[in-house]
Amino acid sequence: MKQKLLALAAAVSLIAGVTVQAADTVKIGLMAPLTGSWASEGQGMKKIVELLAEQQNAKGGVLGKQIEVITEDDGGDPRTASLAAQRLTTKGVAAVVGTYGSSVTEASQAIYDEAKIPQIANGSTAIRLTEKGFKHFFRTAPRDDEQGRMAAQTIGKLGFKKVAILHDSTSYAKGLADESNALLKKKGTEVVFFDALTPGERDYTTILTKLKGANPDVVLFTGYFPEAGLLLRQKKDMNWKVPFIGGDATNNADLVKIAGKEAAEGYYFLSPPQPQDLDTADAKAFLDGYQKKYNELPPSIWAVLAGDGFKVMVAGIAGAKSTDSGKIADYLHKDFKGYSGLSGAISFDAKGDREGEVYRVYKVDGEGKFVLQKL
Amino acid sequence: MKPRLDWIGAGLFAALLAVAPLFLNAYQVDVLNSIGLYALLALGLNLILGEAGLFNMGHAAFYAMGAYTAAILNTRYQIPILWTLPLSGLVAGAFALAVARPVVHLRGDYLLIVTIGVGEIVRIALVNDVFGITGGANGIFGINRPRVFGYIIRRPEDFFYLIWGCVALTIFLFLRLKRSRFGRALNYLREDATAAEGSGINTDYYKLAVFGLGAAWAGMAGTLFAAKMTIISPESFSFWESVVLFMIVILGGAGSIPGVLLAAFLVVGLPELFREFAGARMLVFGLVMMVMMVVRPQGLWPARGHQGFSLAALARAVGP
Amino acid sequence: MSQFFPFPATLNLANLVEEFFQQLTNGLAVGGIYALIALGYTMVYGVLKLINFAHGDLFTYGAYLGLTLLTSLALTDRLGFALGVLVLALMVMGLVAVLGAILERAAYRPLRQSPRLSAVVSALGASIFLQNTLMLIYGARFQVYPENILPATTLNIFGLYLPLMRVLIVLASVLMMVALYLFIQKTKIGTAIRAAAIDQDAARLMGIDVNRVIMLVFLVGPALGGVAGLMVGLYYGQINFTMGWVYGMKAFTAAILGGIGNIPGAMVGGLLLGVIEALGAAYISIAWKDAIAFCVLILILIVRPTGLLGERVADKV
Repeated sequence: MKQKLLALAAAVSLIAGVTVQAADTVKIGLMAPLTGSWASEGQGMKKIVELLAEQQNAKGGVLGKQIEVITEDDGGDPRTASLAAQRLTTKGVAAVVGTYGSSVTEASQAIYDEAKIPQIANGSTAIRLTEKGFKHFFRTAPRDDEQGRMAAQTIGKLGFKKVAILHDSTSYAKGLADESNALLKKKGTEVVFFDALTPGERDYTTILTKLKGANPDVVLFTGYFPEAGLLLRQKKDMNWKVPFIGGDATNNADLVKIAGKEAAEGYYFLSPPQPQDLDTADAKAFLDGYQKKYNELPPSIWAVLAGDGFKVMVAGIAGAKSTDSGKIADYLHKDFKGYSGLSGAISFDAKGDREGEVYRVYKVDGEGKFVLQKL
Repeated sequence: MKPRLDWIGAGLFAALLAVAPLFLNAYQVDVLNSIGLYALLALGLNLILGEAGLFNMGHAAFYAMGAYTAAILNTRYQIPILWTLPLSGLVAGAFALAVARPVVHLRGDYLLIVTIGVGEIVRIALVNDVFGITGGANGIFGINRPRVFGYIIRRPEDFFYLIWGCVALTIFLFLRLKRSRFGRALNYLREDATAAEGSGINTDYYKLAVFGLGAAWAGMAGTLFAAKMTIISPESFSFWESVVLFMIVILGGAGSIPGVLLAAFLVVGLPELFREFAGARMLVFGLVMMVMMVVRPQGLWPARGHQGFSLAALARAVGP
Repeated sequence: MSQFFPFPATLNLANLVEEFFQQLTNGLAVGGIYALIALGYTMVYGVLKLINFAHGDLFTYGAYLGLTLLTSLALTDRLGFALGVLVLALMVMGLVAVLGAILERAAYRPLRQSPRLSAVVSALGASIFLQNTLMLIYGARFQVYPENILPATTLNIFGLYLPLMRVLIVLASVLMMVALYLFIQKTKIGTAIRAAAIDQDAARLMGIDVNRVIMLVFLVGPALGGVAGLMVGLYYGQINFTMGWVYGMKAFTAAILGGIGNIPGAMVGGLLLGVIEALGAAYISIAWKDAIAFCVLILILIVRPTGLLGERVADKV
């Protein structure tokens, strides 16, 4: 009986997540998809945020205290995310970084807002997230309309007349596809194809065959890198030479690995600048540290944006000289200007969106490198 | 166990649950809320799968129907969210009847894939913004908080009493149903459909009725889910949700109400308990599911006097 | 809105015919893989009446083991392309077969006398376990087969583009299916498998070791699934730990479409499902492709309740 009681007590303390820690740390929560379909992004986010916390702690932490990162798995689905958010609110975090998917972030927004914890999302680009007037919500990711504008503009500059648009029915890709579609049509560019593929499959030749039948000058694919890589690879097998342009969800080191160097060459995509292309000391230190610790390049721009979210929150706490949510939010809204993050300059408008033109155009060269373009 | 002891146990459990929010933090209460929602859904599925023995692995479709009905009525026509409960149930039930009508006579595994198919078709339709009312992959947001006698239900503790109140009511109703003529007919149907038909039970009628009833319950649970999340999107109604519900019913012991409750605690609660394992939490969860099933093949808390789907009955069912 | 009329503005009959045949071959290549995986479902079902939901994950293990063996042993460098891939395929088949047998022993045999849905839940648990094991071993990032192992020859027949590898995939799948069919129909062991599928007790009385038959089924089915995984890895290049869910579900659908428990049915079902998907995507809507496939499946089951080639037994007549 005693044993049973002990086991029960152990189970209860597990679920309660008893945390006996010294009170003199500043806790920052990270909500990330560590399991499920987006696990690779979530694990990248965790690696980056942990590295940055280490680096910051080596420099003395913040407000004279060490930083402690508390990571919770949101599983990439809204229900699990709302539980992860509830759990973080009970752990006394001063701020939360994350998360990746827009609807997943949305499920957690109100919870953090009611608990008065500042949240900074890294991968959630849906427009409406910052239209609800949450005072404590920020994001390092640009919005879909910003990227749509950039996509339409780039297609115009490159001189393409007939555009095929392909998305993958996720809210991010569909949003970007809709924005671009409307803008292109307004500018008089002909959109000859608009449809969605099913993500997670391997064979997209059916779609490519259909796309080819529509005879576009360029294909705008607004989905994610695994599908983009396969599309490029299978397009090459078909001997079809049409250029592809992608959104920032294709900015992932694995894109070239999946497509193969030959097939990826000439692929354009839009993205906030990568740390490799910034010559700030911070970005260099981060890249060196990351490669030394994990022996690879950061997996994707979204994970890097989580790193930026962490840096912003640390700067916010330092700037507000407090872990009070109201003060942090006020500081980030008003006095936080000209900060140089891992993805370029960061500042926020009244809604919590990132200010300024964030996007750049990249092109893949023959070596599989992402080269910043000047258009 | 004697029946009286059963009642004492149930009473203690209910009392413990009722005071639980006083001792738990917001996260823990919200885990209980999640468990309650799944219990509600699984109790509905238990009628179909456990009591009548119809293989349904697409329960999320009916859940989605209810949630979307409630969300659309609330956001477009400003109907208070709790008032949509009966209508959500009705829509989900009617949809289930329409779908089940031509396929309910299919043999077990064929019915299984058809229900999986229905689940996927519904999800794909939601993602593709069918009729322009489901909001596509974005889903529907801005659903109002429910209001009871002027009190806005907002905090996890508030939802706890709403959800578990519904679970208690459901258990009461389903226990009565189980002991009714209807319930006995269902059990007869599951054990031997031919004999049931032979003794004058209209099997098709009962199969359809139970399908509609279970689906209607899922629809009403969908309303509660929409009210709680204030945003719904197709990814909340994926095939995986149907699988989880299926596991709850079978793991608990098909046809057993306490079993379903216990399994809801385990299947929804364990992944939360395993959060300490971080990336390995689902691995441990999978292993535990396997081991529990192997150790207790009849389910954790099998229904009394209940043969379940014994291999012998199965051989009779599918054998030539 | 999706485009319901995909035809180019200039209606050219030759183009339309060409596109149709192109889509048909696209569908067959995808369907060949479905069929190969479907065989594993159907064999296990035939003997045990169990839907082995972990079968899709065995397929994934085939892809990952293939990658590890390929990069660590450098078989194609040492033995040349054809022989290297053949040896690789045999090794993968062997390893995944062992995995299948372990799965049967650990997760299904203890449940053989139990309600059969219990085994389904055990299979689902096994599936979650297997998937997450892979994630922990290899990481969550996509894994990619090395480039340029395969000859990138593209055949051009009557204007149809047919990469050599796609043709080989379909040929290899059909070859393995025919071999399996002959094995089941013509050999003594095959007869034992068929006997156990019809009536285990009677088979036991006739001196057949039913446990060995079941073990055999759990060796052959996973072996075929594993080699399908290898083929997907080699040809498509990109693999990840969740891919077994998608392929597994498709293959299960294919097995049901053809009539589960029936080996030619799995072949027909797999190829047909691939073609339905391709034509549905091409001529109706890409976004609704999977919904269309399920609608066709449901319609077929309404007309033929036990699938295309399934035995015509209604529910307990």
